[in-house]
Amino acid sequence: MKTTEKINIRFPQTLAEALRLQARKNTRGTLLAGGTDLMVQWASGTPPPARATSLWNLPELCEIEVRDDDILIGAGVTHAFLGEAKPIHRHLPALIAAAATVGAIQIQARGTLGGNAANASPAGDTAPALLITGGDVLLASLDGTREVPLDEFWTGYRQIAARPDEIILAFRLPKKGSAKERFRKIGARKAQAISKIMAASRIRVRSGRILSAAIALGSVAPTPIRLTQVEALLTGQALTPSLVAQAEKLAQTSVKPIADIRSSAEYRRWVAGRLVRDALENL
Amino acid sequence: MNKAVSQSGRLIGQGMVRVDADGKVRGLTRYLNDIDYTGMLHGVVVRSPVARGRFKALVPDPAFDWSSVVVATAEDIPGENVVHMHDRTMPLLAEVGGELLYRGEPVAVVAAKTIELATEAAAHLRVEVEELPPLLTLQDAIAIFKKTPVKFDSMQDQDIVKGDLAKGFAAADDIIEAEYWAGHQEQLYIENQGFTVFPLADGSILCEGSLQCPYFPVHELNDPLQLPPEKIRVRQTPVGGAFGGKEEYPTMLIGYAALPALKSGKPVKITYDRHEDILFTPKRHPVWVRYKTGVKKDGTLTALECDFILDGGAYLTISDVVMFRGILHCALAYRCDNLIIRGRVARTHSFPCGAFRGFGAPQAIWGMESHIDAIAARLGKPPHTYRRQLHVRPGDVTPTGQILSKENGSTACLDLALQHAKFAQKRRQASRGKLRKGQTKYYGIGLSFFAHGAAFTGDGEAKFKAKGRMELALLDDGKPGVNIRVSSTEMGQGVHTIFTQIASDALALDPARIRFPMADTGLVPNSGPTVASRTTMVVGNVVYRASQDLKDQMESFASQRYFRGAKTVLKNSQFAAKSRRPLSFAKVARDMLTEHGPVNGFFEFKLPPDAKWDQVTFKGDSYPGYSWSANIAEVEIDPLTCELAVTRVTAVLDVGRVINPILAAGQVEGGLTQALGYAIMEKMGTGQNGLYDASRLQTYIIPTSLDTPIYDVKFVEYPYSFAPPGGKGLGELPMDGLAPAIANAVESAIGKRLRTIPITPEDLFAALHPAQGDNTP
Ligand SMILES: Cc1cc2nc3c(=O)[nH]c(=O)nc-3n(C[C@H](O)[C@H](O)[C@H](O)COP(=O)(O)OP(=O)(O)OC[C@H]3O[C@@H](n4cnc5c(N)ncnc54)[C@H](O)[C@@H]3O)c2cc1C
Repeated sequence: MKTTEKINIRFPQTLAEALRLQARKNTRGTLLAGGTDLMVQWASGTPPPARATSLWNLPELCEIEVRDDDILIGAGVTHAFLGEAKPIHRHLPALIAAAATVGAIQIQARGTLGGNAANASPAGDTAPALLITGGDVLLASLDGTREVPLDEFWTGYRQIAARPDEIILAFRLPKKGSAKERFRKIGARKAQAISKIMAASRIRVRSGRILSAAIALGSVAPTPIRLTQVEALLTGQALTPSLVAQAEKLAQTSVKPIADIRSSAEYRRWVAGRLVRDALENL
Repeated sequence: MNKAVSQSGRLIGQGMVRVDADGKVRGLTRYLNDIDYTGMLHGVVVRSPVARGRFKALVPDPAFDWSSVVVATAEDIPGENVVHMHDRTMPLLAEVGGELLYRGEPVAVVAAKTIELATEAAAHLRVEVEELPPLLTLQDAIAIFKKTPVKFDSMQDQDIVKGDLAKGFAAADDIIEAEYWAGHQEQLYIENQGFTVFPLADGSILCEGSLQCPYFPVHELNDPLQLPPEKIRVRQTPVGGAFGGKEEYPTMLIGYAALPALKSGKPVKITYDRHEDILFTPKRHPVWVRYKTGVKKDGTLTALECDFILDGGAYLTISDVVMFRGILHCALAYRCDNLIIRGRVARTHSFPCGAFRGFGAPQAIWGMESHIDAIAARLGKPPHTYRRQLHVRPGDVTPTGQILSKENGSTACLDLALQHAKFAQKRRQASRGKLRKGQTKYYGIGLSFFAHGAAFTGDGEAKFKAKGRMELALLDDGKPGVNIRVSSTEMGQGVHTIFTQIASDALALDPARIRFPMADTGLVPNSGPTVASRTTMVVGNVVYRASQDLKDQMESFASQRYFRGAKTVLKNSQFAAKSRRPLSFAKVARDMLTEHGPVNGFFEFKLPPDAKWDQVTFKGDSYPGYSWSANIAEVEIDPLTCELAVTRVTAVLDVGRVINPILAAGQVEGGLTQALGYAIMEKMGTGQNGLYDASRLQTYIIPTSLDTPIYDVKFVEYPYSFAPPGGKGLGELPMDGLAPAIANAVESAIGKRLRTIPITPEDLFAALHPAQGDNTP
């Protein structure tokens, strides 16, 4: 980092302390979890802030709680820890698979789920896997904790529904139950790759009929998105090759990706449909 | 491996552990960026903000405090503002009033106590320009070449002519024509470029940093710095990878750092961070190559016409020689009596391209090895049988008229690779655009076959006369030993180890008594740059012969001094004469040093006296020796997503005598991985602003270990007997031919040929689903 600025980083020991710092404008700092997004941004043009508030290892943010119907995952949980948290794997396989594709081992050891979500990059790998659960984000501030549905969390390109005084506390993610999940990422290489596109799906089928379908994509829009039209097409239908073909087409016509250094708009649109096909053919 | 050849030495042919392993593995090795000096300033280069424009003024911000900052501009250049590479056109720094020819062209150097202050100061220098329309890319240049050839701006032309092309085409039954493209490639050494320049009291400079060719700056900066060669001393620091990237460019860095150093009287260090290093150092030349070939029904290649055009960037630097090597490799591997190969170097408003492992050969072989497959397909012959029919072997004549000697293992490489990879059998499984029973992915297998000329082109080595010295000395432990004094640089390829092996065998001395100090032009004779796959072959021979010379001198000293003239031999680190008690190397060495003063073995490299070369007509022996290789790539393409994986690569190589099989295999696997990136990942475009679009590790994609295929590497040995121990070129060969093998494998997988690398999933998608949004599963 070629910069003359120094960052004043505070290391609160408890969530309450962190919330107090964030509550007031003149003590508030950029929230710093693993730093794997922020440090890169600071090194490549974004001016570093004067103050930062470290969330690293805050105990309240590092817990995973398995409940009857859902799982609470603290925002400070790292991708590596998700990989080690075996008891939750069968309930949230898409999320676990997504976390395993983030960067490589070094980044996974440092990068957090909260950071991935709050960074709000359309290419954040865990976002589609979070979206398909239909869960919520728990936001904490001195005023208390509120829940925001994941569907409403990413409000625009690199924007989230959290106020400046709020900290992401955890994610409440319903278990998949009898549904089948799938995650697939297309990157330029097998590790250390930012997604060209990725898809997550949670689909429940009984006796050949689709009871419910949640399909989400990343890197095809300013935010991670649910393919609501495709989901509507699928729900209640018999799973047939022609339905699969229809869903594939609909996915391709309903997304409007852009071209950038990582891929072309045409390829992304096409693969969007292919990944929907992939999900439906692997139920 | 051919054991009979390998066994003659004790260490030659053995997988000796690297002599630099300990320091590097334990993190003790100090690279340039680990070495700071008190009073040292950090330099930052100020650059042109446009790809082309008139340089109107350099305006310092009056509000900024300039008191502790040194600013050097073209006005501070003591001599003539020109860097003497292969021509004398490129200025060290652009001059106000002149034309800026590429984005990032240096206009000034700012130096201060910290990088931060220097960076800030640089941001307060405004470069005023009047923008002019640039010609940014090779695509643009080729469009002109095709439409209005007279307007095409070539910095260097060279043709190779053999036989009668018109007659050749007249004799053909069929004519096959195609164009091939490849883009920039970044070397991506681990250690970024950097240099420190010390101004010394006598007006000379001492330059310390990461480079391949210590003597280049010594001769290229005389004019601008007004210093004779003996006043520019260059000392190598440990090099964290180079791949050609630190061949010609360090001269520029030294020049930039020298200006504020001479102006301030303080040492100045310039190091680049990764972003600056990718944006503003030379890349592999993009290429456009067009082949027009005439063939008979039986496969005889009756005529070959080739246009080979490299994107040189804004200045020639060393691109002429890259193009020469390119055209010499455009049709090297196959029999053809009538040909014309035309090489050109296009001038564009982009960063001057430069050396990169392979040096024009990968670009040439990319085109040729794709095209040979295309010809075979047209003839209805399998690509391997066609290559077996057409490839050159000893006694055949190259495009320049060189007769290939017996020391060319061309057939052995091809045959062993085909057999070892079970090419013919596996080829029957190729998908050709339709999944076969049991396949979930398109499978393809492709072949390439090629040579790499070892050492300098033509009579380069004859003219250059590489010199080396083996120095008897007290080593770091105070005991006698031998220093290898040559200008070859260790940059990860293992030269410190293999030269130790060669010297140890030639001297019959324990390798623990041999050192290879880092190159320093104040101490080493000029054995030439560490380039062109010449080091093992040429400088290895110099070390071998100079060691023998030292051995002779010591033996005759020992004979006279201790054994009354009886024949004395140095063997197993001891001097022995018949029926006498042997004396230790240490004793004899100490006595000799005390009684004689400095003791050195010398050698100067020569080419065989019958070697001929005409640099104007490009006729004669284009290289002293040739290394050979066949590569076989196997690929899988996912029909669902068009993702491409290279699953297995078989490479058989004839690099002459293999000095260290473990290091050799490492070089091959590393080179193949670099070639893999070139073939399917490493994409670098140029934006309208004149900057590369992939300029960070995040966007410039190279293979990770997870992306590398299974490598199956084998050597066959046809040593270069003229220059013992008989190595030929190894460094570049593994980079040369994997890209076309992969493209050929892709063709066999999907039934379509892609003629531009890198081949990405997006390209495969466009090839397989030409109608946008096409839905066929
Ligand atoms: C080499 C490399 C490879 C990478 N590869 C991938 C990849 O393959 N896929 C991928 O998705 N990402 C990748 N990333 C990006 C990054 O690693 C992930 O997004 C990671 O999850 C970020 O987590 P963090 O804790 O490091 O975030 P930080 O950098 O600490 O923070 C990121 C953002 O989140 C905010 N934030 C963090 N925690 C909270 C919280 N609890 N409440 C509110 N805001 C918060 C911060 O203020 C900041 O804006 C890569 C990064 C690097 C450097």
